Amino acid sequence: MKRFSPLLVPLAALAIWEAVSRLTHVSHELLPPPEKVAARLWDGFANGGMAGDLAASLLREFAGFVIGAASGVALGLLLGLSRAASRLIGPLFLGYRQVALFAWVPLLSMWFGGGEQGKIAFIALAAMAPAAVNTWRGTSALPHSYIELSRVLMFRPLDYVRFVALPGALPAILTGLRSSLIAAWLATVGAELFLDVAPGLGGRMNEGRETFQMDLVLASVVLLGLLGLTFSRLAVAAEKTLLKRRAT
Amino acid sequence: MKLHHGAVRVVAGIAVPLLLLGAWSLTAREGWLPDQILPAPGVVRATLKEFIASGELLDATLISLERVAKGFAAGAVTGLAFGAAIGLSPRLNRLFGPTFLGLAQVPLLAWMPVMILLVGIDEGLKVILIGIASFIPVVLNVAQGFRDVPPALREVGAVLLFDPWSMLTQIVLPAAVPSVFTGLREGLANAWQTVIAVELFASSEGLGYLMSWGRQLFQLDLVLAVVVVLGVIGFALNWGLARVEGRLGRWQVRPA
Amino acid sequence: MPALQIAGVDRTFHVAGKLVPALRDISLSLRDGEFVAIVGASGCGKSTLLRLILGLDRPDKGEVRIDGQPVRGPGLDRGIVFQEHRLLPWLTAETNVAAALRRSDLPAAQRRQRVAEYLDLVGLTAFAKAWPAQLSGGMAQRVAIARALVNRPRFLLLDEPLGALDALTRLRLQAELARIVRHGGTTALLVTHDVDEAVFLADRLVVMQPHPGRISDVLTVDPAARRDRSSSAFLRVRDKVLGMLGVETEAVRVGNYETAA
Repeated sequence: MKRFSPLLVPLAALAIWEAVSRLTHVSHELLPPPEKVAARLWDGFANGGMAGDLAASLLREFAGFVIGAASGVALGLLLGLSRAASRLIGPLFLGYRQVALFAWVPLLSMWFGGGEQGKIAFIALAAMAPAAVNTWRGTSALPHSYIELSRVLMFRPLDYVRFVALPGALPAILTGLRSSLIAAWLATVGAELFLDVAPGLGGRMNEGRETFQMDLVLASVVLLGLLGLTFSRLAVAAEKTLLKRRAT
Repeated sequence: MKLHHGAVRVVAGIAVPLLLLGAWSLTAREGWLPDQILPAPGVVRATLKEFIASGELLDATLISLERVAKGFAAGAVTGLAFGAAIGLSPRLNRLFGPTFLGLAQVPLLAWMPVMILLVGIDEGLKVILIGIASFIPVVLNVAQGFRDVPPALREVGAVLLFDPWSMLTQIVLPAAVPSVFTGLREGLANAWQTVIAVELFASSEGLGYLMSWGRQLFQLDLVLAVVVVLGVIGFALNWGLARVEGRLGRWQVRPA
Repeated sequence: MPALQIAGVDRTFHVAGKLVPALRDISLSLRDGEFVAIVGASGCGKSTLLRLILGLDRPDKGEVRIDGQPVRGPGLDRGIVFQEHRLLPWLTAETNVAAALRRSDLPAAQRRQRVAEYLDLVGLTAFAKAWPAQLSGGMAQRVAIARALVNRPRFLLLDEPLGALDALTRLRLQAELARIVRHGGTTALLVTHDVDEAVFLADRLVVMQPHPGRISDVLTVDPAARRDRSSSAFLRVRDKVLGMLGVETEAVRVGNYETAA
């Protein structure tokens, strides 16, 4: 029984949804029954080009994530390892963090345009901060004893990065990358909703909203949620694999 | 010695921003970039002054802050209750935890089209979305905080024959305070992010709207002026919460 | 010329706006192959002295010299074992030891051989591929000893290396340390607050007093006295040192030895 209890609430919710949409006078436009949403999802993949939208969104997210996460980790390492860098650009970076992420949408769309470049620039910006913050925190929180040890063993700076700083900060870096991935996914949806219309799940949702197709909107929500879940799962699994050997 | 040290830090910290400002002025003066791409700092400052003087900026700020306050209050109160419930009761956690985690994976903005169809684009939309945005981190952290009360501390309570109420007020709540605060801080940050996003997309008032208006008119000076305001408010929110947190968590030893 | 010479060293720290003298006028010389132990209560500046010898810190006055040359920084001629093992948790026992050879001139094949040799010396060949988290405290400290020795340093510095271990493991490792150090003929400087350990291991004992850290006495230990921890010769040296540190034992108070120390 205990094993199935997590399923109770979703099943109950589905049942209530089904009942409300069938037994009350709420229009199916506003609250399509669950099976209609499922059918829409199925139909979308079979002949509605939803697979193409999905691929476009994923590609966009991936491009932005790679650019943003790589530059974020690099920035974090610089801030964490060089005192001069953290003094010089640390405050600037912290100041940047105070500005709400979406405030950059109008600016980036003017600078890079509302097309693919502007979208990827925004996704990259979203992915950059969590990676940078966590990498910075991870590298600057390394115990002083490791730094002393590296001096005694006469490590060169690169040896220090390779043997101490990177592996020592790895858990924090991975946490940052996971947050970056999730932030990039949110930014992908945001970019697709706010910027120029282009193939993608966000655009598909906008279309559904404008043409009052709740089933399409909800089908997209389900898909976006499933992908978000997949991302988290993958990131957690990757973390476990990478950190496994440290456990007792 | 110490003063000297602090002064070096401050000077180093503002050196790069000043340098960037200088480069920005130079770029504008030499006309290297068109005004629609990068207006001169002086223009941004003038716009900022003008909008402050006309009261438009203050109005927009107050509207955005009011939305954050309403949405955050709703999200934080419900989040505290729900988080405490699934944190304290393993049974409730088994029932509701997985569903919550599943729904939390949906990118927040994906709810926007759904909510627009359901409730329209009025105040309700903003409060609901900001509410969801603050609800999720509050629940995650509160539940974690309540679950992670060190068993050794619970044992102390058991040895002292605490009743459930004393156990809650003397041991569980104080031990969970840091996580609760982390949740509230993240919730407020999310609320702030979300109000801007929602106003950019569906609003005719507020700071986010001011930006999207500036963008439509190709007035980048206005957009940049709002960015400055957003930075100041973000900083003030962070500072305020850190102070409150410092008072409530005095027993915690913080790394310097 | 002494192999290692500490000449008139002073070191003062700024703590919360106050000047705290940690070491005052320390002079000490070590000959090649000697095993010297510094004993003293906590706060007598023992570890500060080791940091100066390592080159992690500079004296305010005086000098630390090796073969007459002042120490300017860390070097591979000095190996150190800290109280905590300080193994890098993401490297195996073997790679932790090998990390100490990053700056060595040895070709790769010889490095591997050298690592194996020293893991064997500390009896951990079977655990070469183990992660530090899988090792007991004593085993981890043995890896740290191998890491300190793998460069064949001229000086082995031991900063309370067995202080964090349980009593039984400590006794076992003391015997092993004696064997390992004699095996390589390394000059060793041990810092400890365990007087038994110092008497058991060292040729010479340096007694330090705190506030400010200074040397109060130096005494030579007769090799015969070290051989048996329960011999009256051993106990006499131990009690004498304990007396110098302000711990009067019953035997000292009533003069219950056959002959005076």
